[in-house]
Amino acid sequence: MIPHPPGGAFAHPVTTGIILATLAVLALSGLAILAISKSGRAEPEFRKELWLRWGSWCVLLPLMLGPVLLGREWTIAAVTVLSLFCYREYARATGLFRERVLSLVIVLGILAVNFAALDHWYGFFTALWPLMACLLAVCTIPLDRPAGYIQRTALAILAFMLFGAGLAHLGYMANDPGYRPLVLLLLTAVALNDVAAFTCGKLIGGAKLLPATSPNKTVSGSLGAVVVTTTLVALVGAAIFRGTPLANPVWLVAMGALVSVAGQAGDLLLSSIKRDLGIKDMGTVLPGHGGVLDRFNSLLLVAPAIFHLVQYFLGFGLTAPTRVITG
Amino acid sequence: MMEDWKLRPARDLGLRPAERLRSLGREPGLFGLGVNAAWRRAVRAYLRSFHGFRVEGRENLPAQPPFVMVANHASHLDALALSAALRGPAARRAHAMAAGDLFFANHAVAALSAYAINALPVWRGRSRRADLETMRTRLAEDGLVYILFPEGTRSRSGAMASFQPGLGMLVAGTEIPVVPCWIEGAREAWPAHARAPRPFRPLSLRIGPPLRFSDAPQTREGWQQVAESGEIATRSLSL
Repeated sequence: MIPHPPGGAFAHPVTTGIILATLAVLALSGLAILAISKSGRAEPEFRKELWLRWGSWCVLLPLMLGPVLLGREWTIAAVTVLSLFCYREYARATGLFRERVLSLVIVLGILAVNFAALDHWYGFFTALWPLMACLLAVCTIPLDRPAGYIQRTALAILAFMLFGAGLAHLGYMANDPGYRPLVLLLLTAVALNDVAAFTCGKLIGGAKLLPATSPNKTVSGSLGAVVVTTTLVALVGAAIFRGTPLANPVWLVAMGALVSVAGQAGDLLLSSIKRDLGIKDMGTVLPGHGGVLDRFNSLLLVAPAIFHLVQYFLGFGLTAPTRVITG
Repeated sequence: MMEDWKLRPARDLGLRPAERLRSLGREPGLFGLGVNAAWRRAVRAYLRSFHGFRVEGRENLPAQPPFVMVANHASHLDALALSAALRGPAARRAHAMAAGDLFFANHAVAALSAYAINALPVWRGRSRRADLETMRTRLAEDGLVYILFPEGTRSRSGAMASFQPGLGMLVAGTEIPVVPCWIEGAREAWPAHARAPRPFRPLSLRIGPPLRFSDAPQTREGWQQVAESGEIATRSLSL
């Protein structure tokens, strides 16, 4: 159980703090872009790009943070929608969407695993991962089309792992009454992680991290992000987990480093997929960002990693009612 | 087979939604397939119950896509009738070539044409060389079925006009069969000037044996030759 004071959505000071900080960053960055635009130094193309990105954030942030504030069901519903969008982009980019049976099974799997989260049925939630792997492995055999079997099955199992089982951990966290500060922290920390990597890389420069995978990332940016994100997550984590076994500097630092490393790993994972396919962006849904996956790639691995770290020390929703739908 | 290991992103990847609706490279996903399947079932039920729709010569349809269906054109019901005759993969992969200025005029109509009818836009009177090239490539590579009315427009009188050579460019020099079809009663059931179909008028479809044009050259003459043969075969079904 994550400690939580009684009261509504803003009962925990960390929740209020994160929301206010996000709004402040959005306002400040808007002013900064305005200043850049007014100064006339920036190229019109660059200005347009900055405004597009900023505008996308203005739409995206309420869609991300709003459901978390509204409650458990909203959070799980938002994660479900996110999962489906991510799968759609992945399937269209890899060509897996041409496999009707696999696509249908994956979509049903995504719905099922999020239903398990909504139902607060941990047994079914964890069982779905191996069961889905088995189902995906056998469901195209009746087509009697062995050519491409390994490829399509591997693509499908990776898809369910990342967008179904993986992301659903974020929604499952909402079964704990104290989920809000933690989920908000993860959502904002992975975004900060990206920004920190970009800024440190620009400021310090130096050797490239993995030039063939992602030509713009530097070692200094990556390490800088680890330092910045670890510090922030450890400090905020100390406020969230006060009085629990997790409130120990070693574990808090480990948690922060995990957010940063898993976030960057998710980013590089998507970069690898895009490089292999020879495409730049996964979609066009978010002007200035590309696709939904281009924005949320960092969350893919962070969600299950942090879930199981917290689960090990505290557990999620241990006093909350279980199997609320299936009884 | 190494070819099966090639990852092929969707042909319409990276297009904005409005562009995607009008793209000749549009490939439907689960949602599109679902909408199209529901539409096809509804149309089939409508044609059967309100027009007593009958199909003759179904055995002439090739067992597998790709193939091209051509027919006389007098009504909006024509494309619906041809696609209603198809089953299985051929039905799912059937794309009707529809006039862009009519069926893709605005986003709402374009969405209906793209998702429900599975139509691809043809722009009358515009340079179409690259478009035809795309269609030709997709027909073979993606194993599609094209529903095509080579007269180019709906006949107002009911008499069939001569076939345009564009059909020839799609199939000349390939093994892709062209299936001639004759639609009877569509003009009475939904004339070109009416806003809506008129129920309880009979509609029937006759499917002729497929034609192949592997020997026809990819030249103006070759295309003309294909168009003429297609026209003769289609006209002969009217008797």
